[in-house]
Amino acid sequence: MIRLLQVLTILINITLFPVWLKADESYIPILVPVTGFLSLEGTAQRNGAIQALDKAPINLNIKYEVSDTATSPEVAVTALHRALSRGQPAAIAAPIFGTQMLAMLPIAKRASVALITVSGTAKLTELNNPFIFRFFPGDSVVKVAHARYIHEVLGAKRPALLYQTTAYGQSGYSHLSRILKENGTPLVFEEALAPSVKDMLPALTKLKASNPDVILLHLHSTPTALVIRQARNSGIELPIVAGSAMHQPSTARLLKADQLRGVCAETAASPISELNNEVIKFTTEYKKRFATAPDAFALAQYDGMNMVIAALKSGAKTAIEVRNWLATNTFKGLAMSYKSDGKGNMAHDATIVCYDGKTRIPKIIQRYLNVDGVF
Amino acid sequence: MMALLSQRSFVFTLATILIPLCFALNADTYSQRIMTLSGIYAIAAVGYHLVFGRLGALSLAQGCFFGLGAYSASLMGVHFGLSFFVCLLFAIGFTALIAALIAIPVLRLGSHYFALATLGIAQLTLLVAINWTKVTGGANGTYGVPQPDLFGKTLSSSTEILLLVWFILALAVGLTFWITRKPFNYQLTLLRDLPEIAASSGIDIGRWRLKLFLLSAVFGATAGALQAYTIGVVSPATLEFQIMVSILAMTVIGGKNHPTGAIIGAILLTHLPEWFRFLETNYLIAYGAALLITIIIIPNGIVGIFNNFIINRVHHNLKSLLEDGKKIISYPTGLSLKIKNVSKRYGGITALKNFSMTLDSGQIVGLVGSNGSGKSTLINIITGLQRHDTGTIKLDDQFIEDAASYKRSEKGIARTFQTSLHSYDLNVFEAVLACSRNNLGIEEREQKTHRILQESALISRAGVMTNQLSAAEARKLNLCMALVTEPKILLLDEPAAGLSSAEQNFLSNQVRLLAQSGLSILIVDHSMDFLLPLADRLICLNEGSIVAQGLPEEVLTNSKALESYFGMPKS
Amino acid sequence: MLETGIQLFINGISLGCAYALITLGFVLVINAIGAVNFAQGDLVMAGGFLSVVFAEFIIANNPHPITGVGLFILPLVLIGMACFGLLFSMVTYTPLKSCPPATVFISTIAAGLIIQHGINAGFGPEPQIGPALISSGTLAIGTLTLSKQQIAIIVSASFLILCVGFLMNKTQLGRQLRAAAQDPEVAETIGVNGAQCVALTFSIAIALAGAAGLLLSNQFFITTSDGGLFMLKAYIAVTLGGWGRLDGAVIAAIAIGLFEVIVATLVSYILAEALLFVALLLILLFRPSGLFAEAIQRRT
Repeated sequence: MIRLLQVLTILINITLFPVWLKADESYIPILVPVTGFLSLEGTAQRNGAIQALDKAPINLNIKYEVSDTATSPEVAVTALHRALSRGQPAAIAAPIFGTQMLAMLPIAKRASVALITVSGTAKLTELNNPFIFRFFPGDSVVKVAHARYIHEVLGAKRPALLYQTTAYGQSGYSHLSRILKENGTPLVFEEALAPSVKDMLPALTKLKASNPDVILLHLHSTPTALVIRQARNSGIELPIVAGSAMHQPSTARLLKADQLRGVCAETAASPISELNNEVIKFTTEYKKRFATAPDAFALAQYDGMNMVIAALKSGAKTAIEVRNWLATNTFKGLAMSYKSDGKGNMAHDATIVCYDGKTRIPKIIQRYLNVDGVF
Repeated sequence: MMALLSQRSFVFTLATILIPLCFALNADTYSQRIMTLSGIYAIAAVGYHLVFGRLGALSLAQGCFFGLGAYSASLMGVHFGLSFFVCLLFAIGFTALIAALIAIPVLRLGSHYFALATLGIAQLTLLVAINWTKVTGGANGTYGVPQPDLFGKTLSSSTEILLLVWFILALAVGLTFWITRKPFNYQLTLLRDLPEIAASSGIDIGRWRLKLFLLSAVFGATAGALQAYTIGVVSPATLEFQIMVSILAMTVIGGKNHPTGAIIGAILLTHLPEWFRFLETNYLIAYGAALLITIIIIPNGIVGIFNNFIINRVHHNLKSLLEDGKKIISYPTGLSLKIKNVSKRYGGITALKNFSMTLDSGQIVGLVGSNGSGKSTLINIITGLQRHDTGTIKLDDQFIEDAASYKRSEKGIARTFQTSLHSYDLNVFEAVLACSRNNLGIEEREQKTHRILQESALISRAGVMTNQLSAAEARKLNLCMALVTEPKILLLDEPAAGLSSAEQNFLSNQVRLLAQSGLSILIVDHSMDFLLPLADRLICLNEGSIVAQGLPEEVLTNSKALESYFGMPKS
Repeated sequence: MLETGIQLFINGISLGCAYALITLGFVLVINAIGAVNFAQGDLVMAGGFLSVVFAEFIIANNPHPITGVGLFILPLVLIGMACFGLLFSMVTYTPLKSCPPATVFISTIAAGLIIQHGINAGFGPEPQIGPALISSGTLAIGTLTLSKQQIAIIVSASFLILCVGFLMNKTQLGRQLRAAAQDPEVAETIGVNGAQCVALTFSIAIALAGAAGLLLSNQFFITTSDGGLFMLKAYIAVTLGGWGRLDGAVIAAIAIGLFEVIVATLVSYILAEALLFVALLLILLFRPSGLFAEAIQRRT
């Protein structure tokens, strides 16, 4: 009886298709949200990772697998366990979703595998976990840049903020409001919007009444476009500085070029705006392969995977060796140069892009390099 | 214990718990994690089936209880460092308290309103969890939920956590079996399928609804707490409608009438998306398709296929327990029912107008009148199914017009119904057993059931499902369900309708014997042939008022009665 | 100040009209089969994507921007979604018609999953913008700037609702549909084909959902995960309006749209959402059968 159970167990495990790896193959699972409300960003992660891994040198024999983490930490944890059971990952591309990352971190630590993510949630690198590597500048970089831009360049004194009631939004809000207060220009208006809110007029009405001189947005893609459109339609011509959702080409696509005049976005990079040949090559290939334009998340994940490939190229074999290489080396990626600050924050530059009202492709207006002084 | 093992459904459930557990114990961490999750959702689904399957109420609150349990247990653990079981108990208590608070207004709502009210509460809780950042951690949730500990030892391996979850599942299932032990499971089925009969048979519907609702909340909270402790974070994802939908799907696909269904559904629906993961982006399409195909092929759920196998149907093989001469059934005597000045209006229509009547022990009173004259309303008011506007009802020396239906049944009022009995889930014996008195032991209840069925010549049909009886048999069953409560007052609502003359004779004799035993009987009927030889007195109703009453022969020659009943003017 | 008030009022009505379309389809199905169609929100979203497809096709063949392309697409979407509605009912209802309503919950949930993730797989996760009914510009009336699309939503939604109302109340077909919904057995005896009526009701309901999707997809853009929100609003509206009442459902839906916009302006969005649920619970507490009387009362 027991033997029968054991046999059946083995059969079931086989049907779950473990990845049979040969001796010098490397296994890299890609665990990202391709369904649910973060599917836009998760798909960008996936695409960027795949583009990098497909171009890796053949002799590294990299095998990768994409697994959905959907919208809850529970699914992400299950995906991670599955990935760990199907082989020995050299590193894992991990979701942009902060809460999912928080749940995955202890497991990654126990399995000694590095998580390569583009999540901006500050807390990830505050937990003394040596296995997190964040290739997107955290809120402590981008929000500082955001605030510096409106302070130094726009000279704004009365900022108003609309932010999302998601982890992304709430985290951005807490950083921004603190920094603005420290600068002596506290928020004159703030309101939290659920991602499902459609009609922006109530918020804009109250916002107008508080007489701001710049509108800050920290919303996801669709709500950002909704606010901008409705603001411009209502005759609000104030400058708008949005979060990274604005730079995403899919957001700009929802708006007409003239509605975008006076709109800027804070981001790590904007691949479609770069004039650098390498980036243009990346963008062209990406567009051809995935039928859509890449955003900073795709580029960051691309850079992150390439750093892992560089680690493998330099001889790191096990996950620990890869991790150690990532922690101690500098890597020149397409978006910027990456170096760990000791806690896993690899990206330290931010960019402000602005739209001129004539085209949907923004121009790079300002770069803030080495914002937190790691280099 | 042996009696328990002889029950097929118990053995089936035990197998459902032990077999997957044995698989998982030999498997890798990933498979164990999935089985752990299956166990967690099984606990939630077992709780849910109590409300959705057994009560037949569409509650959309189970997801809410799940999330409340997750948050309350986690926040206790993170901020106060208490041990897991203390946190679990706190979570259960907290969620049960919330459930009790919402139960009072919500449980009395009709089905769709109940669903929407529970949905509204769930959405509100989600809003609070997302926006009360200081306490709940906001959209990011709270990180750092410790691993569960047992008697000081931290459970860190996936095997240990698996065992913990499935042990708690076994406890939950055990508790479910105990709550729904014979004959309560039959009472619950009666309550769900034939609520009016249940109310008139001494079953306290309100109390059962509250009990099962609270229990479902307890199980939901337990599941949520376990989930938070196994993944180490608690976030608003635990309160999203998605989870409620999953639990609903698990319960329906597995089979909503039995806890095993919940377990099988949970295991299947937790594993299904994992099996499809290799499809990458398309895996949820496959999951949806699988769900759709399954429900079309097996609409009664997986366990529904095995329903007849796993459900122990009660037999009537109690011949060995009964000696023919032994007196099993006895009706108390000497009670009278006094109805005084009862009125009832529906909007503009007067159903009863100052109706008064006395019913003494051993009397048979017939009530006649044309349709709409208020006869059924009177019976509904006496038994408490409808509320009167004015007047009093006195049973012996107690006023009962404000008592709930089940209390009136306990005091000795029983009735039959005109409606036919449609329960797919009860056989004749179980239906009668469900109506027997709650204050008796199970053996005595079964004996009385057997004797009543014998006396009504229905014992040969004891194992037949109630919805497969002929009309006459259904009538007999209805009468048996009333008589097994050993009532003092018996109200018969059109008992002779649709019976052949032989069947009417049998019924007549039965009624006469009952009256001789001391019961007071009120018969509402249209058939004069049936009533005349039987009734001691006749009352004739017309548009809510008594137009004639007295000895049958007198009433028959009364012109007003003739006019109202036959429509004939005085000739 | 007054202009803002009027503007907000129109926004609320416009949103409410779109909700009303969704709710009307929802309640038609509830009346016909006694079960809730959990995929109604996803069907709205599908209608939005369908209109995007039509628009892209038309624009690909006509490089000049066409005013009123949405008006042309509207009947296409109605017909397309009506056909899909027939298919939908054949898959989710017909095999389960003699089963308890719980099974139809699951079949519609499953269908919703397939629709949502099918569209996600086909279109990708990007938000889309649908075609404007007339144009997406604005109209200046005095000091007011009204969005043309919003006016179009109000007008076309009202038109469709009135059409359905006329159909159900004044035509023989509508009477048959209502008869079959109220008492299928008796309806069969007088020659009304119950199965056809159910299929037709589904068609109408899903066509309405599609129209709502078209109207909403330009004003508010459309993403694959939008379905849940629409379902929730429709569910609340149907219950508040008195379960089964078409007129109550429509009025409740418009009221919800207005309520959301007004409360969000006066206080905040979060409170608007919370107060909607609190109001719902209070109404259920004091009027357990909804604001209007139920369509069918039980004779005890």
